[in-house]
Amino acid sequence: MQQRDFDIVIVGGGGAGLRAAIGAAEQAKEQNTPQRIALLSKVYPMRSHTVAAEGGAAAVTSAEDSHQAHFDDTVSGGDWLVEQGVADYFVHHAYQELVQMERWGCPWSRKDDGQVQVRRFGGMKTARTWFAADKTGFHMLHTLFQTSLKYPEIERFDEYFVLDLAVHEGTVIGVIALQIATGELILLRAKAVVLATGGAGRLFRFNTNAGIVTGDGMAMAYRHGVALRDMEFVQYHPTGLPGSGILITEACRGEGGILLNKDGYRYLQDYGLGPETPLGKPENKYMELGPRDKLSQAFWQEQQAGRTGKFGDSDVVYLDLRHLGEKYILERLPFICELAKAYINVDPVKEPIPIRPAVHYTMGGIETDPQCETSIAGLYAAGECASVGLHGANRLGSNSLTELLVFGRLAGEQASQRAAQTEWADMHLLEAQGDRQLAKLSRLCDGAGSDENWVEHKHAMVQAMENGCGIYRTEASMRQSLETIRQLRARYEKVRVNDTSKIFNTELLEFIEFGYGLDIAEASCLSALERRESRGAHQRLDDGMQKRDDVNYLKHSQVFYQGEANAELHWQDVDVRFSAPAERAYGDAGKGGKV
Amino acid sequence: MNTQQISTKQVSVKRYLPDSSAEPFWQQYELPVDDSTSLLDALNHIKEQLDSTLSYRWSCRMAICGSCGVMVNGIPKLGCKTFLRDYEGDIRIEPLAHFPVQRDLVVDMEIFLEHLAAVKPYLIDDNPVKPYDPKTPETYQQTPEQLERYKQFANCINCGLCYSACPQFGLNQEFLGPAALTLAHRYNLDSRDHGKKERMAELNRHDGVWSCTFVGFCSQVCPKHVDPAAAVNQGKVEAAKHTLIALFKG
Amino acid sequence: MDKSSSQRLPPLKRNWWLKHRFFKLYMLREATVLPLVFFTLCFLAGMVALLQGADSWQGWIAFMGSPIVLLLNLLALAASLFHAATFFVLFPRVMPIRIAGHSLPDQVTVAGQWAGVVVVALLFFWLLVRSGA
Repeated sequence: MQQRDFDIVIVGGGGAGLRAAIGAAEQAKEQNTPQRIALLSKVYPMRSHTVAAEGGAAAVTSAEDSHQAHFDDTVSGGDWLVEQGVADYFVHHAYQELVQMERWGCPWSRKDDGQVQVRRFGGMKTARTWFAADKTGFHMLHTLFQTSLKYPEIERFDEYFVLDLAVHEGTVIGVIALQIATGELILLRAKAVVLATGGAGRLFRFNTNAGIVTGDGMAMAYRHGVALRDMEFVQYHPTGLPGSGILITEACRGEGGILLNKDGYRYLQDYGLGPETPLGKPENKYMELGPRDKLSQAFWQEQQAGRTGKFGDSDVVYLDLRHLGEKYILERLPFICELAKAYINVDPVKEPIPIRPAVHYTMGGIETDPQCETSIAGLYAAGECASVGLHGANRLGSNSLTELLVFGRLAGEQASQRAAQTEWADMHLLEAQGDRQLAKLSRLCDGAGSDENWVEHKHAMVQAMENGCGIYRTEASMRQSLETIRQLRARYEKVRVNDTSKIFNTELLEFIEFGYGLDIAEASCLSALERRESRGAHQRLDDGMQKRDDVNYLKHSQVFYQGEANAELHWQDVDVRFSAPAERAYGDAGKGGKV
Repeated sequence: MNTQQISTKQVSVKRYLPDSSAEPFWQQYELPVDDSTSLLDALNHIKEQLDSTLSYRWSCRMAICGSCGVMVNGIPKLGCKTFLRDYEGDIRIEPLAHFPVQRDLVVDMEIFLEHLAAVKPYLIDDNPVKPYDPKTPETYQQTPEQLERYKQFANCINCGLCYSACPQFGLNQEFLGPAALTLAHRYNLDSRDHGKKERMAELNRHDGVWSCTFVGFCSQVCPKHVDPAAAVNQGKVEAAKHTLIALFKG
Repeated sequence: MDKSSSQRLPPLKRNWWLKHRFFKLYMLREATVLPLVFFTLCFLAGMVALLQGADSWQGWIAFMGSPIVLLLNLLALAASLFHAATFFVLFPRVMPIRIAGHSLPDQVTVAGQWAGVVVVALLFFWLLVRSGA
């Protein structure tokens, strides 16, 4: 088994991981402590799912805007389940991070005078979203990846699949990874480890996410005792393409696109988001620029009322961009046009785009403190895999791209500072854990095979998650789903993979990912079941639970792993030091809060 | 659009399983297709329902991550953006040409990554007018016209299809190739960058722009309309200018 | 990453270009040089003949009039037109013309080049007609 030593190991090569790597490298320079940084990713970094983010990244930019306003939008957008100290830090560091990206060459869209352009986004009081056409995540990821090439101290391990964290007496001491091309294990000893492994949208059948978004890092930290926090909050993006779930950016609505039901009626005005704003004059926090949870819920209501149309087998509503004109659409939303034409044969310049909600983002994740450190010393987490507490019960669009910069950098810097004052653990401790992983792998690939097809189990999992943790939830459906997930967990141990090859064995990887997924799925179902109120993206239909209940549930859920036994749930107080919970209102109803 | 099942189709996949057979072999699969079935959908169907040992790369499903390049009837394509409805008769799937095959449809992309890194694909501005300071962060100015000059070349998703389309890369793997040269040109055209001189050392040599003979197939197969052939040949003009200027300066 | 770490494939075989229509077209484009070399040699021979005197010139005229030479030169004309067509399409991509910050559409540049060809051809035609009269 190959063994390597690094000061810092970063798991995940998406936006947060790359930003953490660069942040750590810069911090090491500042400290005058030369450090070696390993960046592991199960795919080449530019394949990471950050690449698919479209709309933009938020930061207070114009003179009329204020940090207070961005903070207020984020906290009320998250239905007061936001860690307010974290949100405060975030809004104050957002702008400098976006400028830093610009200085690294990110091709932000511009105004005629050469300044960076901003666009409107849902739930934001004013236009503060920076964008690079409708491929913001793509341009950010490639800029970060390319910039990372400047740093020889960052050594990449592309297509290395991390199997486990090595933890000794409450401190992380390294990671154990599998080189996908050869099937060989490698032990990476480290003084600090940053997890930046992304969300878990692939737990659900219908989602906007890439195949790699399987929650690996969440499960690894969780299995070592770190709490998964707020996992019941799963964001349904209101506009995915029917069939595939491919994302159609919120920027369509930020630029003035409207949502219509099958009768051509702008139904959002019936759901507390009105009155109707004039065509081509979108107004912040009104109608189509409401937050994602409210819009997805409105779709569900329309569907129940029989006012949705059909596209193939899917119930859909329509996103109409036509009034924006061809030139503007092609300038601001070229990727959307490409996607709609390729995947559903609709030209947005000529026809409304049929769309429906799809699972998009995991608000919860690995619990960290405001400095991104988990309950395991030396283990940090940033980006979608983490729950630093920024998004609460519902994330606002364009906060997450900024999040991965602000907290990716912070996690990298913290890791670097820690590494400067820490010694490596004894390699024997890693070897022991490496041997255990090796034994586990050989058992999975022992060629004994099994009668059960694990892919069917995976289908059962994603279906159970959709049934239990949908846009609206009921006690009975969540109980049923939790039960199914627990049965699948029990059966997982007995199943084997068919492919016994060591070389690029993707069946093995997918099977391990499925195991990660089952553990996270249990945490999600359990916290959803136990949160007996409706808040943000967690909406219940059960009697007496259809409203927010601050008396009992102004709390984060924390789920703790218990091995083969059922997971345990605890509640944790929310940091509400700046803004007391108030009614969350949009449209005219939210005018009281307008400044 | 109709999404119901309309037919079955046969797909032939070039398999290579280095730990069980030394030579690649062809394998046929029969699968249900409808109007919206992409080649990637087909591969996923094979893997989940017919043969779990088939290996290939994929991720985003929406032609932006660049993972799923393969040869379809001899032409490099993204699996997720290729639809079976567009093919009559046999569909032959092979790993991307000009790269060493690791297994089945998975090729070794390391050389591609090396070539990308070789051209210093990042903004170089050693003496900025206003250095970046997190306390008083300030952006560069860049007008939409200045952005327009390089924007197209910044849209490369690094899928590698152009390398499989390029016979010059097939003949000489040290040739930096379309994507890397395009990326270099993207930064050379950026009004914020001052690194052209540094990049010229790599570009202005035999394995740089001068290995390109403007076959142009790279631009034909590019799924993002980046037009790498244009970038590379604009690079030749720049390299020639650079040489001339150096000549006059002595 | 160390350069030696990655694998290299053996280079393509000589017949690589036979595998695809696009490559055959490319080879055809490159092969246009062959009839053009023939034309250039003819032209040079004509110059020499002119210097050597009337007899030599008459011999050259006769040579140029032979069917096979005529055919080869027609081929050269076709090849040069084909090469021009491919070149004109590539030109705006290599030297994009920008006016007031906006790039000129490719078709305009291509049309401009053909217009140039027509103008030059007309000029020569005019010169010939005038000297003939």
